[in-house]
Amino acid sequence: MVLSQKIHEAFKGTVERITSHRTVSAFKEKGVLSVSEFVIAGDNLVAKCPTWSWESGEPSKRKPYLPAEKQFLITRNVPCLRRAASVEEEYEAAGGEVLLDDEENDGWLATHGKPKETKSDEEEDLPSMESLEISKKEPIKQISTYMGGEEEDDIPDMAEFEETDNIVTDPSTYLVAHEPDDDNILRTRTYDVSITYDKYYQTPRVWLTGYDESRMLLQQELVLEDVSQDHARKTVTIEDHPHLPGKHASIHPCRHGAVMKKIIDVLMSRGVEPEVDKYLFLFLKFMASVIPTIEYDYTMDFDLGSTSNN
Amino acid sequence: MSKKEGALLQFSPMQSLVDEGFWHRFSSLKLNKLGIDDSPLPIIGFYAPCSHSQVSNHLTLLAESLPSESSDASLVPEPSSGNRNKCSIPGILYNTNTVEAFHALDKMKLLKEEAAKIWNDIVTGKAVEDCSVLSRFLLISFADLKKWSFHYWFAFPALMLDPPAALVNLRPASQWLRAAEAESLSTACNEWRKSKSTADVPFFLVTIDPQSRATVRLLKEWEACQSDSHKVLFGFYDPCHFPNTPGWPLRNFLALISAKWNLKSVQFFCYRENRGFADMGLSLVGEALITVPEGWKNTMPNAVGWELNKGRKVPRCISLAQSMDPTRLAVSAA
Repeated sequence: MVLSQKIHEAFKGTVERITSHRTVSAFKEKGVLSVSEFVIAGDNLVAKCPTWSWESGEPSKRKPYLPAEKQFLITRNVPCLRRAASVEEEYEAAGGEVLLDDEENDGWLATHGKPKETKSDEEEDLPSMESLEISKKEPIKQISTYMGGEEEDDIPDMAEFEETDNIVTDPSTYLVAHEPDDDNILRTRTYDVSITYDKYYQTPRVWLTGYDESRMLLQQELVLEDVSQDHARKTVTIEDHPHLPGKHASIHPCRHGAVMKKIIDVLMSRGVEPEVDKYLFLFLKFMASVIPTIEYDYTMDFDLGSTSNN
Repeated sequence: MSKKEGALLQFSPMQSLVDEGFWHRFSSLKLNKLGIDDSPLPIIGFYAPCSHSQVSNHLTLLAESLPSESSDASLVPEPSSGNRNKCSIPGILYNTNTVEAFHALDKMKLLKEEAAKIWNDIVTGKAVEDCSVLSRFLLISFADLKKWSFHYWFAFPALMLDPPAALVNLRPASQWLRAAEAESLSTACNEWRKSKSTADVPFFLVTIDPQSRATVRLLKEWEACQSDSHKVLFGFYDPCHFPNTPGWPLRNFLALISAKWNLKSVQFFCYRENRGFADMGLSLVGEALITVPEGWKNTMPNAVGWELNKGRKVPRCISLAQSMDPTRLAVSAA
């Protein structure tokens, strides 16, 4: 970890310890959440999208300001069928939505994309998002995971140790259906996505744990392939999870409040009065621009485009 | 999508997934409490119905699969109850202290012992009361705490019917059932999954009355389902996502149905969800024909179930040196 990041963590920890948590709602003014608003929004997410659930995490890491059984939210085994990096290339080539890199770097989506210079004769070849076949463009790379023996640790060569001695199974009686051996399965990763409450920034914070197609833990650099390239090296950091053991990739929350404030402003300018229990739906929609191919569940509960004044 | 008559009923194997937190807690349990004691340890695995059409669910081990280190007496983990995304399944962990001992474990014998527990629970009727024991599993491991690497191998014991069951017809529930029945079943399943007392009960009975009204019941209500005018389906939470195969839990369920209720024809219901809600297009209904001879249940059936690793019979290995090795952590923190 970089030294400045370390110092900041220590500072943040101290501030979190000595400040009391927010009790007055600043949801519309600043785009932030109080602890109790986080719980309300979390309850609503769990009710509407039951693949999410509250968890209590490691007892030693429990935060006293949150209910013991509602420390953080998690959804496990979320499919990620394509790499964000490849999708972006294709999508941009198709003149789709792109991230507007404004001076504030908020990661807003432009709806009409960058005009492409050479658009003329390749119109028919434009890939659609649905039928995007990454494998046809580039061969699937051998994914190195923790399983791979090329790490500097000399893992005893157990993978070479083919068991023949004491397992006897007659294939004719085993009745195992064989999985279709196609690229889709090779490309499919799964993620555990968790949402914690960041007391310093007073916003939710998203954490990612990835698994490869054979359900082995993904190395952290490989997780970055599933993060929008505009964010991969900037806003995604590898840190200790506040409630779980080990280091996990996280989308740094320093700009979350500001972006949420903008989203809320846009809604209000359209005459939509956002309610605080919908916060996480808006938040997860915003997160989808950072991790576009991880198909976690968030349903839009109310129509973003609806207006009450016309 | 339907299979031809008389085809052998095949199953998609259960798949394992171990959260990093499991090995973290196991390491500290081993260092601080277990020491070199290598007696088998009861653990809890978690699974849920398939909730996405593109990925199967797994039998997952988490930190809380293990007993808490601080609990003074009990070395039995506390099952969480009522969490719809985490149905508790009992398992057992054999951890060895050396790699040689790991290889020397008699895997056939261990599998047979766990299968015998399942069979015993079927015969005594315990499995009807607490159906999670039908999916009992086994894990063997060698935790190399010097290198922070973990070798492990799962087995999901499945009792084999002899001769194997035949599959008559397998179709999405939405095609098998009439529209009104499918809708009613969908509602009943969502209620079942919503209620804290049944959300994590993975095997159940479905009755559909002549008015197309579906009811989901506990296995022990079997007697109440006996009415000629009712359709009865044997339902289970299916972790598998493949449209043409039922998942592994059906195997021991069929053994139970045959041994307990002596049925020759079983209509089974592979319950699957989409984004947390019942999906009758992804769920399957099929009919299995069981032709075991009279008195087959007097001897315990054979069992299979060691998990394959990329199609091969080898253990898995994970290195967690990056997140566990204190010297490395010190370097990365500097």
